[in-house]
Amino acid sequence: MLFQVRHPFAIPALVIVGALLVSACTGAAQPGSSTSPSAQGAPVAGGTVTIPIGADPTLNPWSPNAFVESLFINRAIFEGLTKPGKDLAPAPDLAESWNTAADGLSWTFKLRSGVKWSDGNAFSADDVAFTFNDIVLKPDLGAQNRASYAAVKSVTVVDPNTVRFDLSRKFAALPSFLAYNSGILPKHILSSNPLTTASFNKGVPVSTGPFKVEKYTSGQSVSLVRNDNYFGPKPYLEKVVFTVVPDPNTQIAQALAGDVTIMILDNKAAVDRVKTANGLAVVSRPLVQYYWLALNQTDTRFTDVRVRQAFVHAIDRQAIIKSVESGYGSIANSPITPALAAYYDPSLASKYPYDQAKAKDLLAQAGWTPGPDGVLQKNGQPFKFTMDVGQRGVLEPVNALIQQDLKKVGVIAELNTMEWNAYIQKDVVRREYTATVNWWTYPSDPDVFPYYHSSAAGKGFNIPGYQDPKLDDLLVQGQSASDLDARKAVYKQLQAYTSETLPYLFLWYPQEIDVISTSLNGVPELGLRDAMHYLGEWWLAKK
Amino acid sequence: MIVFASALTFFFVNLAPGGPASIMRFDVSPEQREALIRLMGLDRPVPQRYIEWLAGALHGDLGTSLLTNEPVTGRIADRLPNTLTLAGSALLISIVLGIPIGVVQAVRRGKPIDHLLSLVSAIGLSVPVFWLGIVLILVFAVSLHVLPSAGVTSVSSDTFGDRLAHLVLPAIALATTILPTVARFTRSSMIEVLHEDYVRTATSKGLRPRTVMMRHALRNALIPVVSAIGALVPRLIGGTVVTEAVFGWPGMGRLALEAAQGRDYPLVTGLTVVVAAIAVVATLLVDLAYTRIDPRLRLA
Repeated sequence: MLFQVRHPFAIPALVIVGALLVSACTGAAQPGSSTSPSAQGAPVAGGTVTIPIGADPTLNPWSPNAFVESLFINRAIFEGLTKPGKDLAPAPDLAESWNTAADGLSWTFKLRSGVKWSDGNAFSADDVAFTFNDIVLKPDLGAQNRASYAAVKSVTVVDPNTVRFDLSRKFAALPSFLAYNSGILPKHILSSNPLTTASFNKGVPVSTGPFKVEKYTSGQSVSLVRNDNYFGPKPYLEKVVFTVVPDPNTQIAQALAGDVTIMILDNKAAVDRVKTANGLAVVSRPLVQYYWLALNQTDTRFTDVRVRQAFVHAIDRQAIIKSVESGYGSIANSPITPALAAYYDPSLASKYPYDQAKAKDLLAQAGWTPGPDGVLQKNGQPFKFTMDVGQRGVLEPVNALIQQDLKKVGVIAELNTMEWNAYIQKDVVRREYTATVNWWTYPSDPDVFPYYHSSAAGKGFNIPGYQDPKLDDLLVQGQSASDLDARKAVYKQLQAYTSETLPYLFLWYPQEIDVISTSLNGVPELGLRDAMHYLGEWWLAKK
Repeated sequence: MIVFASALTFFFVNLAPGGPASIMRFDVSPEQREALIRLMGLDRPVPQRYIEWLAGALHGDLGTSLLTNEPVTGRIADRLPNTLTLAGSALLISIVLGIPIGVVQAVRRGKPIDHLLSLVSAIGLSVPVFWLGIVLILVFAVSLHVLPSAGVTSVSSDTFGDRLAHLVLPAIALATTILPTVARFTRSSMIEVLHEDYVRTATSKGLRPRTVMMRHALRNALIPVVSAIGALVPRLIGGTVVTEAVFGWPGMGRLALEAAQGRDYPLVTGLTVVVAAIAVVATLLVDLAYTRIDPRLRLA
């Protein structure tokens, strides 16, 4: 799903700090290089880690108000039945093991025994059933992420250490989805008001992870301390403090001042400046995320696959990656990202080279020929349309680059820049758009059904409204194939098919840049939000 | 007036495109969106919701924040002291520095020092706060390590000295939004007053120039300056939005930005009411200050 990064001043400030910081840089960026902090002997206990977040978090993974800034803490303190493994495959968390029934219509999870909540109460299968039956599956509550569990009918307590998920259709990705923002909540605390209890969401929640919340100071910080009731090994760090710093450039300045232990560098233009700082390392991490250009399929100009293919040839995606990501990313031609290494098909990477002649040729085949002013036309109508631009992250510069590239092949895209909230209402809720760029982030599993199936066209997450029975069939096959080899085979086909038909125009797979203090160790090589699941393993070298 | 401001705000924010952040996200399905609209009561007409809100507001209940489910009054009460501290410090800096600067310029009118200070004022007015803020952080926190970069206190220590150190940079950044104006008002008002007959009379009586300046000229020159400062308070409050974001200062400005971006209708309205009240109080204080400076107004 989409991470909503909230940076009110990101764009103007980016220009300035770019000027300030880049002036100090030496040499070009080296995309893909990972300067890992050197291992510093055996782990030692103690110390405080400081991580900046952009806004006040909501400490409840199912609250509709838990935005991207909430993910860090929620993934550190709440545990799901599974968590993303260090290879992103689902790994045991509150569940020790799981298996699916022969008919694929139920999954049974064996829970870890002896788990306690941070307030000392015992955790049990009842908490799991409560989280799903009374929160996620209750339509009136509108729980976040509930759409991921559309196939789940109910959760049954088999015994205090066993739960069974009963399904309305096969759902091979269930263990992966349970690893994604699906923390189990305490029934004994939240039974009367699961999603809007402010003393929990904005205070000190009861959780099962290695750390628990010590103090929540609105607008300032949230501090975590060790959870003495944690079932696993005692964490090394004594304390983890999340400071609320809305301006991304102030976050960078704090890192340079030595006030931050680890952070995501959203403004990649600053990467060279950070690299030259003492005591800081820069690492790149793969993400399960891709940027796309959606062309509304209710517009007949875009239902011709040759037009869509021509656009991809016309857009210089490598230049976009270089310009807005400082090179940290790779070209995308399908929804399965390189981070899902078991499924990703690298052979598709070179499918659509940047080629204006090829683009013009394909457009000509589709009936679009240059008019007297150089603008393509068909039946006397010029090829002109509007792209809505949401003000967030890199979307504004990306749209400007795409506009220039399309103009070179005779297509006129006018940009309509909008405040984010109003943009969502127009383009996503009402679908009153012709073309728009955005990105998807999804659970670490190739099951992309919600974003592509025709049942979600025009209202759900199928933004372009693309409908194709063959693609529908592949999506259902992927959900039904339960063993890894069978799934790999289906999703290889799905990648080839989507790269050919282009339901969305795939742009690029971004990488995350993390700035990390050289004294911090034990952080797995995952995106920082995923690495929060392993906070108990992090440790600080003594200075 | 405050009721009028609240009604205007309530209707305007509800008519603005978009909706509460919880439903205006990419990853919310249509059925979730409908459920949340019902839960938040947004399926009811705006006038009805306003009347309910007003009924509560008259009893001191400004409603419940859509973003956090906390009472709006509590959320504002949490942040108000921080904003008052920041804006008050900036105001103090502007007065303590702005008035003497204006006086010096008026007395040395046309001399190099006047031109220099005018230039500095013009630069101060034209530099955006978010840029100045980042520069201050880079210089004083990153390079010189003499002041903290952001926040209201350190995580480990929360002493008066620590809070004061955190206040310095944001207060300076915010002061630049009004300090040059204060200096310019003082300068022009002083120049005008220095040409008045009573100043010439005082000088010809043989009073020391210092006495003439302080007792006769400045006192009269301050009357328009004080009213200008009163009018600058809204600009100062507006400046807190950017300053607080850059310096991670947990005040009302940031709260207002979050509330507006997240379409937290009750919170936006509540903040407007509080800011309107501050403006009313500022006007009252200006009137009081007048009477201190100019005894003739005491009976008025």
